[in-house]
Amino acid sequence: MKFTKLKRTFKEGMDNFRRNGWLSFATVSVLAISLYVISVTIILGVTANIVLKNIQDKINVSMYFNSDVEESRILEIKSKLVGYQEIASIEYVSKEQALEQFKKLGDKNPSITQALDEIGENPLLGALVVKAKNPNQYEIITKAISNASFSGDISRIDYEENKTAIDRLTNIIKLVEQVGMTLGIVFVFIGVLITFNAIRLTMYAHKQEFEIMRLVGASNTYIKMPFVFEGIFYGAVSAFVVMICLYATSKFLSPITQGSIGGGDIVSFYFGNFFIIFGGLLLSGIFLGTLSGIIAIRRYLKV
Amino acid sequence: MPILKFENVSKTYPGNFIALEEINLVIESGEFLSIVGHSGSGKSTLLKLIYAEEQASEGHVYFNDRAIDSINRKHLPYYRRNIGTVFQDFKLLPQKTAFENVAYALEVSDETEEEINELVPEILEIVGMNDKAKKYPRQLSGGEQQKICLARALVRKPMVIIADEPTGNLDPVATWEIIQLLLKINSMGTTIILATHNKDIVDKLNRRVIALDKGKVIRDHQKGRYAI
Repeated sequence: MKFTKLKRTFKEGMDNFRRNGWLSFATVSVLAISLYVISVTIILGVTANIVLKNIQDKINVSMYFNSDVEESRILEIKSKLVGYQEIASIEYVSKEQALEQFKKLGDKNPSITQALDEIGENPLLGALVVKAKNPNQYEIITKAISNASFSGDISRIDYEENKTAIDRLTNIIKLVEQVGMTLGIVFVFIGVLITFNAIRLTMYAHKQEFEIMRLVGASNTYIKMPFVFEGIFYGAVSAFVVMICLYATSKFLSPITQGSIGGGDIVSFYFGNFFIIFGGLLLSGIFLGTLSGIIAIRRYLKV
Repeated sequence: MPILKFENVSKTYPGNFIALEEINLVIESGEFLSIVGHSGSGKSTLLKLIYAEEQASEGHVYFNDRAIDSINRKHLPYYRRNIGTVFQDFKLLPQKTAFENVAYALEVSDETEEEINELVPEILEIVGMNDKAKKYPRQLSGGEQQKICLARALVRKPMVIIADEPTGNLDPVATWEIIQLLLKINSMGTTIILATHNKDIVDKLNRRVIALDKGKVIRDHQKGRYAI
């Protein structure tokens, strides 16, 4: 018996949704825009974080030692530094290794090889490459190193050059997240309002029908349920629309994002997380639709 | 056995407008009762008290010895299923066909599809509308729409049918068809309460007539004629 009721009110809700063509279209559009902005924000935030992680992994601080410092001395300093808790890893790059790497660059750029040949000896310095556990700690580490007893042996530290770039990137990502979140919240609010309004309009259009329904003995639940379903339809259809829009967007963005994410570009990210994204969208769409429906019923359906 | 009983019923609308005053009335099961009176005499209010659209300000209305105002709001829909209603403006759902309009009354009370498919054509047959089952209200004449309303009121086999000016929008031929149908339904045992302005109908029916004026019963005759 309960099931028949559910089935019938579901059908009524679907009929409402279909019959009010324009109203449904407008509602779905606005709800879809809200969901779209929110999901773009979230996806942007997630990818930006992945990109940032990738870049952070590439960040390190290199200490170059004066050319007269012995290898044994460098290794001794290295073993001292291992004790720092901020440091994730230290790698020793000897003069010879540095030269190898530099020569590899020469394969692509013959002038490098030429220049090396001209100098005749290895002009490069031995270095310790330090990676921090947390990118914020590079500053502490560089300070500690430049104040250390062995600072006299160090020719230069190349942290400062990277620092501004890192800071700028972090700030941009923070800004994107904040703007996105604010926009998202605003759009959720607007989306709920519009859906709520659409359902209210349907109710207004059906005003006389409620009276009829009551007169033939329809229970309150029976009158209300179709509107909840109507809200659910708005949400679900919007979720589908957004899914398609997101695919188009990621397709459009994929050339720009090529290689910036671990698994390739943003399209593969989209498909890799298809079910999570779709499930999330569907759930939030249905949630927003239902919420709006319930608000509209509470506010306007006096039965 | 009385099916409806009004005990000292008064109804005052906001603004101190008195619609009904000190109504005492007993309606027997199986009766065909006409209520006459000018517009604003309280006919519609009296009917609304019966189908629980309004509640009495004072006194009680009893349906089968149970005070209607004591029914929990949540249970009112179930109570209303005992009462069929027919109105001057038909009140059909415009987006549903004749069949669906009648079926709706059954759907809301959880009848199965089989029952609906069996009962609805049966009732449409009684009111002579079987061939118009697939038409929408806008495709039907006033008389035909009213027959669908009667079918909808009837389909759940109510104990009472309330007809509030059911012929107000109809031509004389359609009017008599509806009255004939009401008589037919009444002969099958259903109590009919008919509010009307139509003198011809009341005179020809020759049944019990109650006249209302300014919210009071001014006449109650067992074989009455139209007189206010």
